[in-house]
Amino acid sequence: MNQKLNNINEMKCQFLDENATYDFLKFLKGRSKVFAPHRKGEASYIYDEVSDVKDVVLQYPRTIQPLKKYFLPPRETLLSFNIDENNFTESEINVEPRIFFGIHAYEMEGVMRLDYTFEQGQPESNYLTRREQSTFIGISYEPDEYHFSKSLGIDIDSVDGFSLYFKKTDNGYYVYEIDAAGQQLMKEFGKGKRVDIPVTKEEPEFTNKIKYHYNRLPQIFEHVYDSKVWEEVAERCVGCGTCNLLCPTCYCFDVRDEVEINATEGKRERFWDGCMLNPFAEVAGNENFREKLSSRTRHRLYRKFKYITNKSGELHCVGCGRCSKYCPADISITKIINNLIDDYADRQQKQVI
Amino acid sequence: MSGQKPKVAFFDFTGCEGCQLNKLNFENELLDLLELVDIVEFREAMDGKADYYDIAFIEGGISTPQCIERIHDIRRRCGVMVALGQCAVSGGINAMKNLHPSEWVQEAVYGEDKYLFPSIPAQPVSAIVNVDYEVRGCPMSAPEYLHVFKSLILGRKPEIKDYAVCVECKLKENECVLDKGMFCLGPITRAGCEAICPSNGQYCTGCRGPVSNINRDGAVDMLKKHGYSTEEALKRMKMFNTNEIDKEIKWGR
Amino acid sequence: MENVVYEKKDLYYPVMSDILSVETLTAMEKRFQIAMPENQPLNHKPGQFVEVSLFGFGEAPISICSSPTRSPNFELTVRATGRLTDKMHMLEAGSRLGIRGPFGHGFDVDVFKGKDVLFVAGGIGLAPLKSLIDYTLDKREDFNKVKIIYGTKNPAEILFPKAIEEWRQKDDVEFDMTVDRADKSWKGNVGVITTIIPPLQLDVENTVVAVCGPPVMYRFVLMALKAKRIPDDNIYISLERRMKCGVGKCGHCQINDVYVCQDGPVFHYPHVKSLEEAI
Ligand SMILES: Cc1cc2nc3c(=O)[nH]c(=O)nc-3n(C[C@H](O)[C@H](O)[C@H](O)COP(=O)(O)OP(=O)(O)OC[C@H]3O[C@@H](n4cnc5c(N)ncnc54)[C@H](O)[C@@H]3O)c2cc1C
Ligand code: SF4
Ligand code: SF4
Ligand code: SF4
Ligand code: SF4
Ligand code: FES
Repeated sequence: MNQKLNNINEMKCQFLDENATYDFLKFLKGRSKVFAPHRKGEASYIYDEVSDVKDVVLQYPRTIQPLKKYFLPPRETLLSFNIDENNFTESEINVEPRIFFGIHAYEMEGVMRLDYTFEQGQPESNYLTRREQSTFIGISYEPDEYHFSKSLGIDIDSVDGFSLYFKKTDNGYYVYEIDAAGQQLMKEFGKGKRVDIPVTKEEPEFTNKIKYHYNRLPQIFEHVYDSKVWEEVAERCVGCGTCNLLCPTCYCFDVRDEVEINATEGKRERFWDGCMLNPFAEVAGNENFREKLSSRTRHRLYRKFKYITNKSGELHCVGCGRCSKYCPADISITKIINNLIDDYADRQQKQVI
Repeated sequence: MSGQKPKVAFFDFTGCEGCQLNKLNFENELLDLLELVDIVEFREAMDGKADYYDIAFIEGGISTPQCIERIHDIRRRCGVMVALGQCAVSGGINAMKNLHPSEWVQEAVYGEDKYLFPSIPAQPVSAIVNVDYEVRGCPMSAPEYLHVFKSLILGRKPEIKDYAVCVECKLKENECVLDKGMFCLGPITRAGCEAICPSNGQYCTGCRGPVSNINRDGAVDMLKKHGYSTEEALKRMKMFNTNEIDKEIKWGR
Repeated sequence: MENVVYEKKDLYYPVMSDILSVETLTAMEKRFQIAMPENQPLNHKPGQFVEVSLFGFGEAPISICSSPTRSPNFELTVRATGRLTDKMHMLEAGSRLGIRGPFGHGFDVDVFKGKDVLFVAGGIGLAPLKSLIDYTLDKREDFNKVKIIYGTKNPAEILFPKAIEEWRQKDDVEFDMTVDRADKSWKGNVGVITTIIPPLQLDVENTVVAVCGPPVMYRFVLMALKAKRIPDDNIYISLERRMKCGVGKCGHCQINDVYVCQDGPVFHYPHVKSLEEAI
């Protein structure tokens, strides 16, 4: 399913040293807006628009918010209204070519999962309009203790969705031309040194892993709805919603009307929301259909590994590790899954005996 | 409330005046808002000249028998009652004295004269009368205050958030202070302040009180993970919310 | 990747529509008659809903309570429970509000055709059912027997007394109702709705049931229907969840893997029976 570098024989490859890579960024910036990873605070990274290419970070573990922030903004005006006139104006979404540079494979897969969500059923123009005219340039990374995308079938070198792919080598990058747009970019840039496709080194090991092959996960999830694992996680989870908000494939939102200080004009806005939050499934009469943290955690994971998967045929977790890295209660999604697998295996065994 | 301007009054109870000062930080917005209402002068309100207020804003908590009488009186004469700031909402920092025997507190505060100042445990306004809406925070959160004020002028129910400060913090893509080795009460504290402290590199001290349906033991475990003993964790959580935390959380695991 | 262009729709812009009349039904409920611009028909199916929108007050899903056979205008019955619905109650004929929809999966009228039809309505659940009831009555010859049972908390909350009187008068409709608590004027049944299910004379294999009411009602009504030996296969229920979009995007309305706003609000009971979060 995934395009892997070694499978692509006719792919062209060039070499850029680090300086030339920054030159390439300058070249990109001359063509359109470029977005890339930047430092934030003491030890964090975020995607941001490139103003000085020197601020771009080429090697980083992960950003705080995923790339979805550009297509499904954390806060978005759906329409503006005037209460006195009782009418509204549509919000303009301007499309302009954008280049996203320095994107990891799991992140790209995350965007493609969101594409599914917003294309299926009623295709939503807000998201899809923003999504048009985007070019993605991938980059390789060193997995840390939270990444586990390989366990979900996404290699570091998975290049689906990219136009170009930068693979780190000793003193620069091998740049692979994945599609025609990428080829065109390299041609116009013109400073690359053409090289033969290098024999790809073994990928660095992921230390964070899921015990079973990802093909088996939907099957596991058929059998663990009543597992004790959900209660165990719920003892420690404080329901802060971080794992939803930062997940590249979570898309739930809330909508609120807010008026200006004159109480006449206002906006209808939508915000990222999450099924881990207490009010998410509340309805009239103080009824809450997912009151317990165990049922909320279960819902979150079923949304990643079963519910949408049944329809789309793909897992909706891409193994970025954000939910675990940023969880204030140190809850690890791989541990949850591995515990579910153990619990399932245990019960299977008991049945056999 | 349609037609003429709504009549609005502010009443002070036992607080630190921090909320008053805080209002000055968003004076411009406030001035525009005040155009839309008819403010009943504080004196007038005291003299009982104005007999009815559409909106009564209450600042400060209840800590003397006189307070109780007064708050009942205001309740009878107002349409919507809004508690402003954590003292009014939960007893706030004032409620810390509830942790000590009341005589001890009075002596510490008034010394010899303690018997001249009868005092009762600090209580939220809602412990005495029905409160329609609450603006939390110590000092009260400006964004929430403006939202409530605007909503009431519009004649609609405000949308009070009941999820964690982390949500607002993540929406802003702040660097999480936990990643800088600090502790933070954001994960269990109610949003509405737009995560103002973490946005400025500070940790959240939980001044807006806990979210509802909080995971009691999980919260303590979390703070322990951040390097606090159960004792310290409790102290941190109770700083602004003694009453709420005592009610919500059955300790001693 | 650069030149992908998607097929897409604007999903969140309401159509400004006119309120033709407002009728006070009870202390809590009002009925609104609404016309889309240029009297365009809404083209809805019984059981579908619209998102009603008032600027500054947000949106809320409201069932269409009139039958498509009585278009082009349509009706909404609204209980004042909060931000938007309280404001709606302050509106008068001549005001305008925003409408998105119709949304969701309504009743498949074809499966009701030629069958005995039993309607079970609790409280405001009568409003969504009324669209199908009126449809059935307007096309009476398409259906076999029609029975309606209805329960409310007390006599003051009876929703459509005029329609109910008509149903009582009709020879080809069987109507019965009950109140949880009676007052002095009340002469009818007292008790929850499940108390008037056992006496029903039903041709169970040939009866299709439509149920709508508050969340607590379903479990008990479904038990009572089971006791009558109505096959699950013959039961349709309409469910409510929190909704923020109505178009399958915001995620709020999910029951396990089902989206109430898309797959429902009307469900074939066997479809949701096994979903833990459903009932
Ligand atoms: C498919 C569907 C059909 C409906 N049909 C009708 C109808 O015909 N007539 C009618 O009066 N009501 C109907 N409702 C319920 C109605 O949508 C809610 O009462 C309404 O959303 C409240 O909005 P509000 O802004 O007035 O209240 P709010 O101030 O937003 O909320 C008041 C209370 O209602 C809860 N609530 C919020 N949204 C919903 C929701 N979507 N469903 C249930 N509770 C909610 C809140 O948690 C709160 O407790 C329907 C709901 C659904 C999902
Ligand atoms: S981030 Fe952790 S504590 Fe917060 S809701 Fe998710 S699992 Fe629970
Ligand atoms: S569930 Fe966690 S690891 Fe998986 S994609 Fe979402 S944030 Fe990343
Ligand atoms: S800084 Fe505090 S409030 Fe912000 S995300 Fe981290 S824990 Fe949550
Ligand atoms: S971040 Fe925390 S301490 Fe700061 S204002 Fe908000 S709730 Fe209070
Ligand atoms: S209401 Fe938004 S997904 Fe159903």
